Amino acid sequence: MHAPADRVTVAERPRADDGTAFEVFVRDDVDRPLRHVGSVTAEDAADAYERATRLFAWYADDIWLCPAGDFTRFTTHDLDDDAEQAPTDVSGFDGGDDYEEPRNREWS
Amino acid sequence: MISVSKLLCGLDAEGDGLRYDAADESEKPQIREDKQRRPVVVWNTTKQCNLYCEHCYAGADDGCAPGELSTSEGERLLEDLADFGVPVVLFSGGEPLVREDLEHLVEYASDLGIRPVLSTNGTLVTDDRAAALRDAGLKYAGVSVDGLRETNDAFRGQDGAFDAALRGIECFQDAGVKTGLRYTITERTAPDLEAVVDLLYSEGVDRFCFYHLDYGGRGVPDADLPPDEKREAVRRVCDMTREYHAAGEEIETLLVGNYADAGFLVEYAREEMGEAHASAVREYLRRNGGDPAGERVADVDYQGNVHLTQFWQDYSLGNVRDRAFGDMWTDDSNPLLAALREREEHLPDRCQGCDYVDVCRGASRLRALTATGDLWGDDPQCYLTDEETGVEDASVDGVGAD
Repeated sequence: MHAPADRVTVAERPRADDGTAFEVFVRDDVDRPLRHVGSVTAEDAADAYERATRLFAWYADDIWLCPAGDFTRFTTHDLDDDAEQAPTDVSGFDGGDDYEEPRNREWS
Repeated sequence: MISVSKLLCGLDAEGDGLRYDAADESEKPQIREDKQRRPVVVWNTTKQCNLYCEHCYAGADDGCAPGELSTSEGERLLEDLADFGVPVVLFSGGEPLVREDLEHLVEYASDLGIRPVLSTNGTLVTDDRAAALRDAGLKYAGVSVDGLRETNDAFRGQDGAFDAALRGIECFQDAGVKTGLRYTITERTAPDLEAVVDLLYSEGVDRFCFYHLDYGGRGVPDADLPPDEKREAVRRVCDMTREYHAAGEEIETLLVGNYADAGFLVEYAREEMGEAHASAVREYLRRNGGDPAGERVADVDYQGNVHLTQFWQDYSLGNVRDRAFGDMWTDDSNPLLAALREREEHLPDRCQGCDYVDVCRGASRLRALTATGDLWGDDPQCYLTDEETGVEDASVDGVGAD
């Protein structure tokens, strides 16, 4: 399996200053996958739901929200000053060191 | 952004190439360039500001936000934007001059082939910083003044802000940086409009951008003019522009943030200048393409979030620390982004039936969303009459000027 090698872990920082950023995922039909469509800044989850609904209700059946700070992001994009090299070992897999893509990661 | 002075008086200016497609006959190289397909990007370099303006879309105050983009992150952002082909970056804030690396970032952008311009309250500018920004490659400084002294200072939350802004304008002009006025039309500021133009023109300013209030941050609907008064203010801008030009004074005037203005300008040209001129105005406006949200303008905020316009701060397409700007901007799998680019089919009935939908494109979706709760509702600041729109069913309450 070949995968991009130079991923970094984007540093955890606030994505909003006045309120909380919530990542928004929508599904436009029951047999379609959820799709990330950006984020809304809101006071709380209820407010975030209201804002996301107003933006995507015309399109989406399902709307999922998660505080942006609860995500750990791995990316090949190299803008973040404080990013750290993403782990390349795949724990619990013999020969995992040969893989350069961190497909599994458990956070404690 | 609609250039009243070009459409009504034929004044060519830098930037018209971006607004009205290539004008092959123009003597100005930028105007002759092919129409740019990439957005102008507003970069809010910091949340920090030394003033506290009533209408600030960025919600700026006296402190930085956590996680603002650093100098090196800013450099990489500018590289991303240059790679994507962004023609212009507007360094904004907060107040961008509180960043000590502003000159470096301006130079970095310029070296990458991006045209760097500045939006500032003007109060922190000194002769030295104006000269340094000029040397860095700054092409234009837009200084915000929202009324005469008393009005402006009340609006900006600080006595002396008006005088400080005028000193800032003088610094830029002495340094040889093209300088213009940014003026937000609200209920409080509208009465001072002509007097401010007269005053600043006498100070050597010849470019005046009039912004309609969009509803983001502290810019709330209650501060806005009623539509009929908004219409009157736009008429005054048109009249004033023609009067200056008739007197041989070539001022550049622009309207920003309400594409009902496009329909009004055609009507105004027909009424005041005849059908042939109105047709020419309409053709320019058709090339301009109407409201630019999600297409010809974008915003990156101080924490790296990408927005559909600088005013639409509570929704972000993503963050430049996670993904390159160009990848986000061209990701048509985002249904909102895609819909804004094909918005005609979603617009409310009044817009779909409007004679000016091709030059307006539904005006501000953010204003509609904020005022009505419906992204595809009516922009409450459309002031065109039913007769002008050609929409006979006047079922939309509170819209229209008659």
